[in-house]
Amino acid sequence: MKRRDFFKYGLGSAGVAVSGGIGGGISEVRSVSDASYFQHPWWVREIEKPKLGIDDSVYSRFEARKNVFGSMAKYYGMDNLRELSRRSREKTKKYYQENRPGYRLEDRALADAAWVISRQGGLNRGTRSWTRNSVRTPEERGVDKYKASPFQAAHLIKTAARYFGAATTGVTMLDRRHIHSEERGKKIVFEKVEEPYEDDTKLVIPKKCKYAIAMTVLMPIDNIACSPTAISSAGSSMGYSRCEFLVSGLAEFIRGLGYTAIPSVNDLGSSVAIAVDAGLGELGRTNRLISPEYGPMVRLCKVLTDLPTTVDKPIDFGLMEFCKVCKRCAEACPSGCISYEDEPSFEVKGEWNNPGHKAWFEDSPKCLAYWEESTSGCSNCIAVCPWTKKDKTVIHEIVKAASAKIPALDAFFNSMDKSFGYGRQKSAEKWWKTNHFEYGIDTTQGKG
Amino acid sequence: MKDNNSYWIFKIRKRPFYIWLLRFLWVVWLVFWAEVALGSKAELEPKAFVISLVMFFVSLLIGLVLWLLGIKRFKK
Repeated sequence: MKRRDFFKYGLGSAGVAVSGGIGGGISEVRSVSDASYFQHPWWVREIEKPKLGIDDSVYSRFEARKNVFGSMAKYYGMDNLRELSRRSREKTKKYYQENRPGYRLEDRALADAAWVISRQGGLNRGTRSWTRNSVRTPEERGVDKYKASPFQAAHLIKTAARYFGAATTGVTMLDRRHIHSEERGKKIVFEKVEEPYEDDTKLVIPKKCKYAIAMTVLMPIDNIACSPTAISSAGSSMGYSRCEFLVSGLAEFIRGLGYTAIPSVNDLGSSVAIAVDAGLGELGRTNRLISPEYGPMVRLCKVLTDLPTTVDKPIDFGLMEFCKVCKRCAEACPSGCISYEDEPSFEVKGEWNNPGHKAWFEDSPKCLAYWEESTSGCSNCIAVCPWTKKDKTVIHEIVKAASAKIPALDAFFNSMDKSFGYGRQKSAEKWWKTNHFEYGIDTTQGKG
Repeated sequence: MKDNNSYWIFKIRKRPFYIWLLRFLWVVWLVFWAEVALGSKAELEPKAFVISLVMFFVSLLIGLVLWLLGIKRFKK
């Protein structure tokens, strides 16, 4: 019996404590026909539509160049940006001379090196190519393409995604409004074609690609806990590199079954919106996805496909109510870019936000400016979130379940979380002396 | 039959139901904090580890003191 099932059946706190103590050591035998290991914990509720709604009269496809990375000079001012870069270079040198932990040469080398796989792909480039790389098609093997019920196909995809490194996977019918209207100076259009392609003016997605497979990749929590240093930056880059491997592997797998697959990480469209639709989490105060299993400690990626599968529903685990009273991310944000408003709203902070959906919108240029200012990026909002936990003790599961079911306790849980010292910055120096898991992640986390 | 030297003899004093329930809850409470302490150590969370360890030992001490007081009262 899984720990989460144990709670589900309502056994008392005695059993809770004991199961937490001994349960971790018992290995489970999982049946192939038992798909329950792709389900969320029992305290997560499926709903028909994402909790933070969309205004259909306003929400539309976003131009990627408007995002903060594409238009920082416009939003922040060219002169300000130059001055920021100059200060950043000076600081980098100063920190290096001071031999400051987290900003040493080895820390920065690690952060840069962890990008290495991620740098192999881009929108329809390299590992993220929209067409087949090396996998053999059913045609080449002289067999028919894969045929199964949508349920079996979903199970197959989720199993393969887990194999390629996905922590959680969900499938949703693609809402085309989540796909960018243009990117890399080219229009992104949907056409009635068999295969995706790109020419001088446009990138073409076949209309038959009606499904979006959304996936989370767990980031190394011990790295992110060192934010803002180059060690935490290495955690983000490792997450992106693992996303790259995941989407390219899964896309090739789907092509090997005889279907079309378009892999994507942060390019092509909003991974957050697709992941929310696919039931991987809720939108939090940071305007990013918070997963019930891993909190914000995840990177997102997606694959568009025409392989017919069953789809998942959006979820509700009381996160919106929790974010209303918590505000820890906003307090920990050195740039002050995260909203302190009690309620989410439709009011955007600037052109970098896509209007028409309800959220706590962030002041992205402030965030990006601080990345430069700190010389090594920042992940404070992820590190301090009370939903970020390693789940090595049963109390986290109890608190998550109670928060999902009894929102009145949220403020109490938040203050207890602070009192117990969670979310404090960890030592980058100690990071090098810790016996880490492979890739810095504990792959058993969140698996029941 | 062998004499009494061949046996360990444990005597369990009859107590009301609620006393057994309290003892059971006390053990559960101790196991809970021990589990949180061990988990926090594994999570590299020093403050959570110290707080839960203190909770464990304080609970253990209070329980033992009450237990010993009960024995003392019974002997009187």
